[in-house]
Amino acid sequence: MTGADTSHEQWLVQIDAELDGELSLVERAALAKHLVTCAHCAGARASQLEVRVALARSAGNPHAFVVPRPAIRAGTLALWVALALATGVLAGWVADRRWGGPGGGATLEESRGAIVVH
Amino acid sequence: MELSSFTSVILALSALQGPGTRLTYRIRVIEPAAVAPRVLASGAVSGPLDSDMRLTLRTDTAEVEALFQVTPLGDTVTLGGEFFSRRRVGQSRRGLPLWEEDTYRRLIRLAWSDTARIYPFGTGKRGGGGGGGGRRALWVELILDREFAGGEARAAEAFDLVDSTRDFRLEAVVRPRRARVILNLVRGDTVSAPRPIDLIPEEPPRVVRLVLKGRATTLVVSLTRPDPARSARDRALALDADIVCLRVARPDVTQPLGTLCGRLNNVARQLPLPTGDTLAATFAWPGWR
Repeated sequence: MTGADTSHEQWLVQIDAELDGELSLVERAALAKHLVTCAHCAGARASQLEVRVALARSAGNPHAFVVPRPAIRAGTLALWVALALATGVLAGWVADRRWGGPGGGATLEESRGAIVVH
Repeated sequence: MELSSFTSVILALSALQGPGTRLTYRIRVIEPAAVAPRVLASGAVSGPLDSDMRLTLRTDTAEVEALFQVTPLGDTVTLGGEFFSRRRVGQSRRGLPLWEEDTYRRLIRLAWSDTARIYPFGTGKRGGGGGGGGRRALWVELILDREFAGGEARAAEAFDLVDSTRDFRLEAVVRPRRARVILNLVRGDTVSAPRPIDLIPEEPPRVVRLVLKGRATTLVVSLTRPDPARSARDRALALDADIVCLRVARPDVTQPLGTLCGRLNNVARQLPLPTGDTLAATFAWPGWR
């Protein structure tokens, strides 16, 4: 990887951070100066913004200032955890009945002795 | 007509169950083979009509012990089997063998001339615990015979193990109707004259007088059956069938001096007496009558 590529990657990271509102004024000024001279980075920034707009629309808030994060309600989370636990317990019980413990194979009655008149 | 049938049944029963009838269990242990079944062992157990047969079959992965009993009724007989089986089902995490124990009862009615086929390890190909993997398990052919005998006879066993690598056993199980008890008094290196006595379990106590060094000791003795075995296996297989207990007491005291229990195997069992003597009792089967 060349030095130019490395610096380009760093500018893309900076673009991401700027859109997240994580850059200082000095860093934003440096990025703005670079975007004036680099059409590629300017395009990347526009693409990033379009993706964020699409995400905001899909979240039902197209006029949001930042991408809305998905909200998980406590009740929903508890329901899913309970469902996962119940599924695990049920699967464990079924597996134990089918394959668990020693002495599997034939049924008890098949393994018992028998007397028949011949 | 009904009275006549009833009388004939009663007469047949009394004739069958009298002391003159001898019962024989004739068995063959057979293993299935590709060409023809192979006889692994054969034998017979005979005795009075109340004789039972104990059969033991052991392989690396399974053990089956069974006690067979018959109840005759006219020309048919009910064959009952108490089974006690152990199957090796795997290993523990520490590498020790794990065994599965099972006890159950089987009952079947057949004519005297019929052959009963016993599958000790189960009939199915899958359930064969007889060390044969997926092969069909071995079986035991049993034929019951009855014949007239002049009097009550002792039990007899004959067993021929064709394949000596197998662990099979056949035993007659007879509960003694009477026992011969030989009593001695012992003190130091002096022993009294043996006093043989035939006792019947649960009959009224008998008074016995033993003389040692000119001094007479009078005891009241009675024969009882032992308490029921504690383990289910011992009870099911009647492992204590030939054990009797001798209750020893002084004539004027109801509290016994002690009780000696043992098999009818000619082994002396000792009971210290308050006089300083030791009573030695030897249990044996009674002599021929």
